[in-house]
Amino acid sequence: MKMWSSFKKELILASRGFYFYVELGFAIVILLVVLFAVPEDFSTTSTEYLFLDLPRQGQEAFKDVLLENDIDGKIEEVEIEAGGNIYTAQLMVSDEQEIYILDSEQAVRDLAYSERNLGAVVQLDEDNRLSYRYYLQGYESTRLKNLLSILFNESTLVLEERINNQEVKVLTAGFEPITDRENTIPPLVAFSGSLMGMFVMAAYIFLDKKEGVIEAYAVTPSSVWRYLLSKVFVLLLTTLVSGLIIVVPVMGFSINYGLLLLLLLATGFFSSALGLLIASFYDNMTKAFGVIYFLFFILMVPGIAYFIPGWDPFWVKIIPTYPMLQGFKEIILPKGDIIYPLLTSAGFLAGGLVVFALTNIRFKRTLRV
Amino acid sequence: MIKRIWFIFLRDMRINLRELMTIYMLAIPLILAVGINFLSPSINDTSVNLALVEGENQVQAAYFDDFAHVHLMADEQAVRGRVGARDDVLGVLAQENGYYILAQGNEPESVVEYARLLNVLYESDVQLEDARSEIIELGRTVPPLKKMLVNILLLLISMLAGMLISVNILEEKVDQTVAAINVTPTSRRAFILGKGITGMFVAVVSSIAVILITGFYNVNIGQAALVVLSVTMISLIIGFLQGLNSDDFMEAAGSVKLLFLPMAGSIAGYEFVKGNWQIFFYWSPFYWAYRANDMILAQSGTWLQLVIYVGIIMVICGVIYALMAPRVIKGLQ
Repeated sequence: MKMWSSFKKELILASRGFYFYVELGFAIVILLVVLFAVPEDFSTTSTEYLFLDLPRQGQEAFKDVLLENDIDGKIEEVEIEAGGNIYTAQLMVSDEQEIYILDSEQAVRDLAYSERNLGAVVQLDEDNRLSYRYYLQGYESTRLKNLLSILFNESTLVLEERINNQEVKVLTAGFEPITDRENTIPPLVAFSGSLMGMFVMAAYIFLDKKEGVIEAYAVTPSSVWRYLLSKVFVLLLTTLVSGLIIVVPVMGFSINYGLLLLLLLATGFFSSALGLLIASFYDNMTKAFGVIYFLFFILMVPGIAYFIPGWDPFWVKIIPTYPMLQGFKEIILPKGDIIYPLLTSAGFLAGGLVVFALTNIRFKRTLRV
Repeated sequence: MIKRIWFIFLRDMRINLRELMTIYMLAIPLILAVGINFLSPSINDTSVNLALVEGENQVQAAYFDDFAHVHLMADEQAVRGRVGARDDVLGVLAQENGYYILAQGNEPESVVEYARLLNVLYESDVQLEDARSEIIELGRTVPPLKKMLVNILLLLISMLAGMLISVNILEEKVDQTVAAINVTPTSRRAFILGKGITGMFVAVVSSIAVILITGFYNVNIGQAALVVLSVTMISLIIGFLQGLNSDDFMEAAGSVKLLFLPMAGSIAGYEFVKGNWQIFFYWSPFYWAYRANDMILAQSGTWLQLVIYVGIIMVICGVIYALMAPRVIKGLQ
């Protein structure tokens, strides 16, 4: 009962403040950006510059092969302006590539350098086989360079046929991918919703420290932990509402909202408790802010791994935001795993309780009057 | 007046140093810069991850290692378990007539295609020693992702500087010393500049250190400092608005979050929005700052271009200041 009245009081106070509305406004802005500025699917076309150092017949044959994948089946004559020079080129556009055929190796080299794209000269070796001279930036990985150096040792047609015959077996059939727009939801909910709790709880506490509210609580029959928890609840409510503002219009009613609410609450509770714990070590916001800022940056690293398939080293997986992001992703996947978000929620809840208990001990020690 | 500005700066520095604040603000970006150095090669070496049965075909494992990351597992069951884990790892397993690729089913298509290609190259006996292509490197050593992370860090430093200013003012406000300025010989302008210099100092020193730590030795430090100063102007204005118009840390925290949105949006706009659509970001000083930093880090621009970018930032800041000046002055009263 005491908890409930404490929560109600905090809620009324929060509704009079500026922060509550900033959170909601921020969620609406993010939603508008996701709906109107983030494309359904990012197009990932790469640009290449080629010079065909081949006999005329060979050039035509090479262009014919490229034209098979061209969107309109036509070569477009274009001019490219770069580094103060103008280059004439023939452009072929497929779903994945924009290929410019230039009239000299120097033009390929210049454009590869100034535009930071791949350049290549196609020529014939002494055995009349196609060979390539690639112009790379220099920072590409050795593995990529290795692949490029042998990629055209075998005829493209032969390779294509063999690749098509290469068998692929899948462990779980019927996976339905999500759109790129939907894929942006987990980081937005995690970073803007769940993690902000850390920052905001610390700010709350310093405000109360300045005003002596916590010290005052220490001499009332009500316990400090109940007071802290009522603050956390207000924050969790804000996280839930702002999270739903972003998720519902994008995902509709196709996802398990029970799981989403559970994970939002568990992760929000964990980060709020962490914010409280950090705040308990410092006597002003500025000092604590340095640590929170640093921690926030570390917690953002799994965000990079989230968007780069194939890059998730072990140490990234042990940063709490990794399971947080994967948990939110699992919830929005059409046939997502239910166990994983449940386990993740349980983990964050347990972690949050431990951190909260530690915080309570620290506040009891430091706020004795 | 300069003497008074200097005194305010020294006083802020003394207070911040006493509380280790400035050292924090200076040190954190540097630690993050070291972190970027640590992350960057690992991300740049990202390739497909393949899981193979250990000892089953050592030649194949050695071959794949030249093109992909190879994980050797105890047996087929372990490979299946690894493929079924949360990250994108594909298995290459033997069957009656060759090898098949084992996927979990949710990997990006490009990853599966790469694994298929590698196995075909291996089965076609295409060896690195027989490479017919020549590779010429154009001498760039910094990968684009590293450049992007450093650029983001530079913007964050400026924002951090703004926060330092706002918190300094907020603490004066809480201690009720802002109004006291009015009865001292120090003018409001001197107070504003004095308070601002601390943040600017932190921003410029941290930014230059970050640029050097991350290995951009050849960039024009003068150009970089100019952009940092111009972005700090944005933070300065916002820092003052936050500090003077917030009654408590909660409000300042809310304003910080509001500030992150145009910054993140500008970065995303510059990196992901193509061609003429970038015009929608021209209003944002962060967009121009990011663009200018990108040019400096890539060592691809001219002083004229930089002056134009910085000029645009200053004009936008001027407009913001003109709009907000009455609130700053009111806050000082």
